[in-house]
Amino acid sequence: MRPDWSIFRRWEGLLLILLILIVGYNALSTPGYLTVGNWVNLFQLSIEKIIVALIMTFIIINAEIDLSVASVMGFSACMMGFLFAGGMPMEWAIAGGLLAGFVAGLFNSFWIGIVGLPSLVVTLAGLIGYRGLAYVLLEDRSIGEFPAWFDRLGQQPLIGPFPLALIVFFVLLIFAIIVLQYSGFGRYVYVIGNSKDVARYSGVRVRRTKMILFVVSSTVAALAGILYAARLGAVRGDMALGFELDIITMVLLGGVSIFGGTGTMWGVLLSVLIILNLRNGMGLANFSGHVQTGVIGVLLILSVLVPNLAGTVQAALKRRRARTVEVVAAE
Amino acid sequence: MAETQTKQPILEMQHISKRFDATQALEDVSLTLYPGEVHALIGENGAGKSTLIKIMTGVHRPDTGTILLDGQPTHINNSQEAQTLGIAAIYQEPMIFPDLNVAENIFISHRSRGMVVNWGRLFKDAEAILAQLDVKLDVRMPARGLTLAAQQAVEIGKAISLKVRVLIMDEPTASLSAHEVDQLFRLVNTLRSQGVAILFIGHRMEEVFRIADRITVLRDGKYISSRPKAEVKRDQVIREMVGRDAGDFFAKSEVPRGDLLMSVRGLGKEGAFTDVSFDVYQGEVLGFAGLIGARRTDVGLALFGIEPADTGEITFEGKPVAIKAPDHALKLGIAYVTEDRRGLGLVMPMSITTNISLPTLRRYLSALGLVRRPEEQRTAESFREQLMIRTPSVALDVGKLSGGNQQKVMLSKWLNARPKLLILDEPTRGIDVRAKAEVHHIINDLAAEGLGIILISSDLPEVLAMSDRVLVMREGRQMGIFDRKDATQERVMTAAMGQQEHQEPTGAVQG
Amino acid sequence: MNTIRRRFQPEQIRELVLIALIIGILIFFGTQIDNYFSPRTFTRISTSVAVIAVVAVGQTLVILTRNIDLSVGSIVGFTAYIVGTILSINNDIPPVAVVLMAVAMGAVMGSINGLLVAYGRVPAIIVTLGTLAIFRTVLVEISGANSVLTNELPRWLVNLPPVNAFTLGPLDIRLLFFLAVVVVIIFQLVVSYLPWGRRLYAIGSNPDAARVAGFPAQRIIFTAFVLSGALAGLGGFMFLARFGNITVVAGQGIELQSVAAAVVGGVNINGGLGSPFGAFLGAILIDVLDNSLIRWLAISEFWRDALLGLLILLAVATDTVIMNRLRKVWARHELQVSGDGEPPAEKGGAGYAA
Repeated sequence: MRPDWSIFRRWEGLLLILLILIVGYNALSTPGYLTVGNWVNLFQLSIEKIIVALIMTFIIINAEIDLSVASVMGFSACMMGFLFAGGMPMEWAIAGGLLAGFVAGLFNSFWIGIVGLPSLVVTLAGLIGYRGLAYVLLEDRSIGEFPAWFDRLGQQPLIGPFPLALIVFFVLLIFAIIVLQYSGFGRYVYVIGNSKDVARYSGVRVRRTKMILFVVSSTVAALAGILYAARLGAVRGDMALGFELDIITMVLLGGVSIFGGTGTMWGVLLSVLIILNLRNGMGLANFSGHVQTGVIGVLLILSVLVPNLAGTVQAALKRRRARTVEVVAAE
Repeated sequence: MAETQTKQPILEMQHISKRFDATQALEDVSLTLYPGEVHALIGENGAGKSTLIKIMTGVHRPDTGTILLDGQPTHINNSQEAQTLGIAAIYQEPMIFPDLNVAENIFISHRSRGMVVNWGRLFKDAEAILAQLDVKLDVRMPARGLTLAAQQAVEIGKAISLKVRVLIMDEPTASLSAHEVDQLFRLVNTLRSQGVAILFIGHRMEEVFRIADRITVLRDGKYISSRPKAEVKRDQVIREMVGRDAGDFFAKSEVPRGDLLMSVRGLGKEGAFTDVSFDVYQGEVLGFAGLIGARRTDVGLALFGIEPADTGEITFEGKPVAIKAPDHALKLGIAYVTEDRRGLGLVMPMSITTNISLPTLRRYLSALGLVRRPEEQRTAESFREQLMIRTPSVALDVGKLSGGNQQKVMLSKWLNARPKLLILDEPTRGIDVRAKAEVHHIINDLAAEGLGIILISSDLPEVLAMSDRVLVMREGRQMGIFDRKDATQERVMTAAMGQQEHQEPTGAVQG
Repeated sequence: MNTIRRRFQPEQIRELVLIALIIGILIFFGTQIDNYFSPRTFTRISTSVAVIAVVAVGQTLVILTRNIDLSVGSIVGFTAYIVGTILSINNDIPPVAVVLMAVAMGAVMGSINGLLVAYGRVPAIIVTLGTLAIFRTVLVEISGANSVLTNELPRWLVNLPPVNAFTLGPLDIRLLFFLAVVVVIIFQLVVSYLPWGRRLYAIGSNPDAARVAGFPAQRIIFTAFVLSGALAGLGGFMFLARFGNITVVAGQGIELQSVAAAVVGGVNINGGLGSPFGAFLGAILIDVLDNSLIRWLAISEFWRDALLGLLILLAVATDTVIMNRLRKVWARHELQVSGDGEPPAEKGGAGYAA
């Protein structure tokens, strides 16, 4: 009798089982759980983090990290608020916010790609610095009273039951899946993540790939920050503070190795669904947001520990079997 | 070593079997090591040598079989226990801690050197151990930046400091030049005279027959033979290894020299090499010979744009070119096959197909930039057939292949780029006899097709047999270019070691 | 030159560069801020650097092994809050017991990290990202979102921050700062002179080799995490003493500050290089900047974080560029020595000699 652990050894399999269990439990205990309206709400509550998690998946598979995303979200939104408060039309203010994110991305890319500093250090400095710039722009003020159409985009459904942010997410998700799993660029991302030296010795333009990723990362973060501002209806220096850890958790729980090279967009999608449903289910059962975060922390650790332990147990069982054989043979 | 028969064996491995999932890595293998004896263990890749070593050092445990140490049955559960029992191993890539200094590297495993590190005594003891080996190294320097040979000396020092009784050397000469091999063998002789039992694993027959007292052959996880060196002949051993007769050393066939492909004048790079000048013709194999540290690889890297040269001129197909990056070199038609398969050559956890298409991925992209996988796979299949890559599927991860097959995947990857000039850096290092012969065949065929080939190799007989002309380097300087008929082992070696020639080789230096 | 090359490795020069950088920054602000060079400035900086320095030392031990501990902020907050709560219930616990309690509490949390990383083989960044959330959650649940208040704490604790260990001329050496310096010195000695400390470098330097080198690498990594937790616990006690009022979010962000201090202080994020003393210098550098920018009238105080981020970047960048230069000089010199010292043709290959 040999238990088959292979399903536990494959991350996506484990995640899928977990997701079905959670959704099943929620659906049984809460009537109306499986309605479109409920799921739209589910997504809407963390939609900005999920959007950024898509690009973070690329970055971590590429064996880098971007700790500055949440600060860039805050910085870009504040830039938009600052320009709007200074009398600029909202459309231009939004463009200015996006541009701020783009420039932040260029700045990160410069230090990582041209100077050659580790991305952990560069984006750690970015995490502090871009947040600082957000404070420079708005000091301790809060800016709101944006045009009604802007707030409506953040809060009301745009097409059918779906608000703008959700539509942006779907479009980006499909795009991200195609690029990461099926395109030449995606292939380079995996190869570089596995070994940047092999990539370089194969004529792959490693630096360029990395720099593109960091520029896109900050630009997407800027977009997410602006969507967040639309949802909140106001901007402040401390908005999106600490989001980076949630975003990275989503990616890692999705089976993307922190050392790069492995993981898929599908895994990240599953992990996002698990996190959303888990939070929702626990919310319905009256657990506080903090407990939800804690449980996700436990989940994150278990997602690596369980396959490891399964492997160890398997090896131990095999050894024991072998020893039995040996004893039998000896007799 | 006639008296070894009467000596007590130190370590006896009896009827060892080991199975990994589907593969029977070892089946009923026995091996006996005597003190003061160098025991060579040979076999093709996949013959089970590494598994046997790992069992001896406690990394793996045997499924069945007994290990006797001084006649007593012993269980070796981990590398720490192996060490306490006096069993140590030195691998092809030394297990060095680059941020620690030489002395610390020697004593890192000691548990009985007191509660506090006494640096003065540590340095003195380390110096004493290295002196015992006749090795001069600054024990205060960090190990980072030591040559491979020096790192191995440190490892041997470590083994001695641990009062090693059984020393396993796993292909220690694979990355060493002929001269450094001499140095290493002197150390081995020292150890032998001190009564250490040495298990030597190697692929180069010359070395095995030079150093070993006894030779054991494994094939496909099975024990084939074990005999004193005196009682065995070279081709016999090779036959036992591959299970068939192996042809003689392969020699390049004469190919009429084609047009001038590339000419290099006064190439230099600060801190690496200066004033390198040569021509390569279509259909020609230009060998690069020299000791380790001769900076031949640096020239290759400069030509491929990894570390571009900072002085000199390169003319490729009649046009002056400046090669600043690998993708630039690729576009010109220059490919470089690295010596470091694991670190620089192949993405081990990715498939054969992915690896083969990597440098030329653009060719497999649709208008939307998506990878056309069927086409990619067709290419991989055709190379699998052409180069006889032994694998159940091209979707298999490269890391799961044997060294020789990995080498063929690496060749496929670059041949698929359809280069005009192919730079091969140590293409047969660490692969078995059969795969080696196959690689030589491939080189020959490519030259016949009109490719220009630069062959960098530390295996002197190989360079001499395979090259039309041989360029010799020493410490970043070009010592001369020899025509095939003038390139004798002595001449090339003399030039590589920088001694004065008695007479100038006729028509040697070109350009 | 030879003896200099042997005695000083580029890593030691890195520390000298840091000291020079700190002095340069001090001189710059001295010209910008009135009355900058005063005992008060020293007191202010030395007080605020104490907590982060202690935590950064623990962080350094972990980073040296090519791991990272992101849970230290939560550990600081947890111990500060729990110890504070216990003290407000029972004012009579002797001070030594209080400190030991904080350290032990941190060590227990660190051992959870260590267990999972060393024996569970889960990457440190995942483990500590998880425990960062988990420890905080447990704290929030225990506390029921109440705060520790200064007026409930015993007097000796509230009065601790201004207590001097001794005075050095006009400078007051506060007890808490003195404690931090003692911790730095102890661990600097540990990593230089204890086999355990040297093996931290070995593990970070080449983890694969460490696994087969015949010393208990797993146990050493485990201990590094336990110590990091214990030092974060000590930091929690110092945090409590310094602020008095402790909410459930106390200590948030210290994880990144401690990493920043270590990295600025020359501790290589990939392990094997750096020292507690370097991390201490890094913490001082950041704190000097932080404290001086607040008082610099040329710019609004809101520029603080923005400039801090930029300066961290510049510090690391110049450091990296200088280090690479130095390593090249060293390497070249080494080549020359082996080159003209022992030509391979006569005496043997590079590194060997007959």
